[in-house]
Amino acid sequence: MPTSPPSPFVVPPGLTARRFSRRRLGASAAAATLALASLAACGNDTSALTGSNTDVSSYDQIIAAGPTADAATVDGNAWAKKIKDRGSLNTGGSDAGPLFSMKDPATGKLTGFDAGLAQLLSRYITGKEDGPLTLTITTVDTRETLIQNGTVDTVFATYSITPERAKKVAFAGPYYRSGDAVMVKADNTTINSVTDLDGKKVATQQGSTTAARIAKDAPGATVSLFPDDAQCLAALKTDRVDAYVIDQSILISNATTDKTLKVVGEPFSNDFYGIGVTRDDPQAKAFVNDWLEKIEADGSWAKLWKATVGTVVAGEAPAPPKIGSAEGS
Amino acid sequence: MIDVLTENFGTLWQGVLTTLAITALAFVGAVVIGIVVAVFRVSPIPPLRALGAVYVELFRNIPLLSLLILVAYGLPYVGISFSLFTTAVICLAAVSGAFACETVRAGINGVSVGQAEAARALGMTFTQSLTRVILPQALRTMVQPLVNIFIGVALGSSLAAAVAVNELTYAAQQVGNRTAESMLLFLISAVVYIVIALLGGGAGSVLERRLAVQR
Repeated sequence: MPTSPPSPFVVPPGLTARRFSRRRLGASAAAATLALASLAACGNDTSALTGSNTDVSSYDQIIAAGPTADAATVDGNAWAKKIKDRGSLNTGGSDAGPLFSMKDPATGKLTGFDAGLAQLLSRYITGKEDGPLTLTITTVDTRETLIQNGTVDTVFATYSITPERAKKVAFAGPYYRSGDAVMVKADNTTINSVTDLDGKKVATQQGSTTAARIAKDAPGATVSLFPDDAQCLAALKTDRVDAYVIDQSILISNATTDKTLKVVGEPFSNDFYGIGVTRDDPQAKAFVNDWLEKIEADGSWAKLWKATVGTVVAGEAPAPPKIGSAEGS
Repeated sequence: MIDVLTENFGTLWQGVLTTLAITALAFVGAVVIGIVVAVFRVSPIPPLRALGAVYVELFRNIPLLSLLILVAYGLPYVGISFSLFTTAVICLAAVSGAFACETVRAGINGVSVGQAEAARALGMTFTQSLTRVILPQALRTMVQPLVNIFIGVALGSSLAAAVAVNELTYAAQQVGNRTAESMLLFLISAVVYIVIALLGGGAGSVLERRLAVQR
C-alpha cells in the first residue's frame, strides 16, 4: 500500500514547527560531530608521527652516549656553571613541531632534532645521562624576550638566524641548514615548483623566514601565515590555500603520514637555524659553539639527524653548516 | 624603535582597518542576532523560546577560539567553507549575539509589566507592543551593557589572528617577527585596542544621553 504524504491540514502547526527545528538541530549536530571527528583525525596523524618514526630507545642512547664537559670547563664558564648547579637546562622550544620538537601526548616524551640537541647540551653541561630539560614553550613572538629576560638559557626552535634577531640575542651555530620545498594536494598537477606559485594562495608558518622568500621567488603569490604545522596542513587540506611551503623535511614527514599530500620540486632556499642565547654574556655563545663543534666531530650530530630528520629524508646525514657561517651568527 | 613604526605603517594600518571592519560587522551582527533571539526567548511560542535558549547556551559556552578553528577547518569537511575573514565575522557575531541576547532580554524584562498590559489593552498585537512600546524603552537601559559587548567584540577580534586573518594582532605579529621587536608591536597594538574600546565607550555615553527621557 503506498503511503501518502502527510497532509499539512491534519498536522497541528506547533508540531511541524517542532519537527522542523528538531531536524535542523539533528543536522547541525551531525555536522559538528563530523567536523570534530575529522579534526581529531588530523591530530592523530601528527602525533602518530613521533611515535612511529622516531625510534625512542636509540634516540635515548644517542643522548646518553653524548659527550660531557670536564668540571674545569663548566666551572670556568659562569653561564654553564649556573646550569650545572641547577641540574637542568632551561630551554625554549615547541612541543608541536614534527621531526624537530614534538611531544608524544601518550607518553609526554619530547623528541626531535631540536629537542635532542637541547638534551645533548644538557648532558654535556650537567653530566646526567638523560640530559634533563625544563621546557618553556616559545612562540615566534616570545623567543627573543624569553632569552633577554633570562627565563630560558637557550632556544632550540627551528630558529632562523636573521640580522634583526641577532641585535636582540646571540646565535650559536648555525647547526642546521634548512631548505624550503613546496607541498600540494596529491591530485594537483599545476604546481610543480616554487615558480608555479605566482598567483596562488600559499600557507607557511608564522615566524619562519619563508614568507619573505616566497615573496622574492613568486612575487604574485598570496601568503597566509598560520600558527603551526597542523594549521597549515588543515588550510591546505580544506583548500583554503593551494600550497604549503616550509622546510622540506617537515613536508616529507607530513607526506609520509598523509597520502593525500605530496612534496613537489627541490628545496629552493637556504635557511640557517641557530641556537639562541643571551647577548649579555659572550661566554654563553662561545660555550655552545664549542659544544656544537664536539658533537659534530664525534658523530652525535649525525646520529641524531639520522634518528629524527633522517627518518623521512633519504640518504646519509648532510655535513653540518660551518659554525659562524650565517649572517648574524 | 620609531622607524619600526614608520617603515611598517602600511601593514599595521591595513591591520587596524581590518580589525575595525570585523568589529563593526560582527557587532552589528551580534545586535541583530541578540534582538531576534531575545524576541524568540520572550515570545509566547514554546518552540521559539526553546530554540532561543539552545542558541544562547550553545554559543555563550563555547570558547571563541574553538569555534573559529571548527568553522575555519572543520566545516570545510562537510562542504561548508567561508573565507577566513567571513569566518571571523560569523564566529564573533554568533558568540557575541548570545551575550547580546541576554542583554536585550534583561532590557525587555526591565520594562514594567504594566506597559505590556497597557499595550495589549489598546489592542496591539505582540509584534506591535514589542516594537512600539517595549523595545524603545528597553534599548535605553541596554546602551551601557551593549558597549560592553562592543568592547568584547573589538578585543575578541584579535583571536582571528589565530586563523590567519590579516587584522591588527596578525599584522603586529608579522611585523614583530620581521623586525624582532615583538614586545614593542604588542604594546602598540594594545594601545590601538584601548583607543577603539574607549571610542566605543564614548559613543555609548553620547547615545545614552540622547536617549535619556527628560523628566
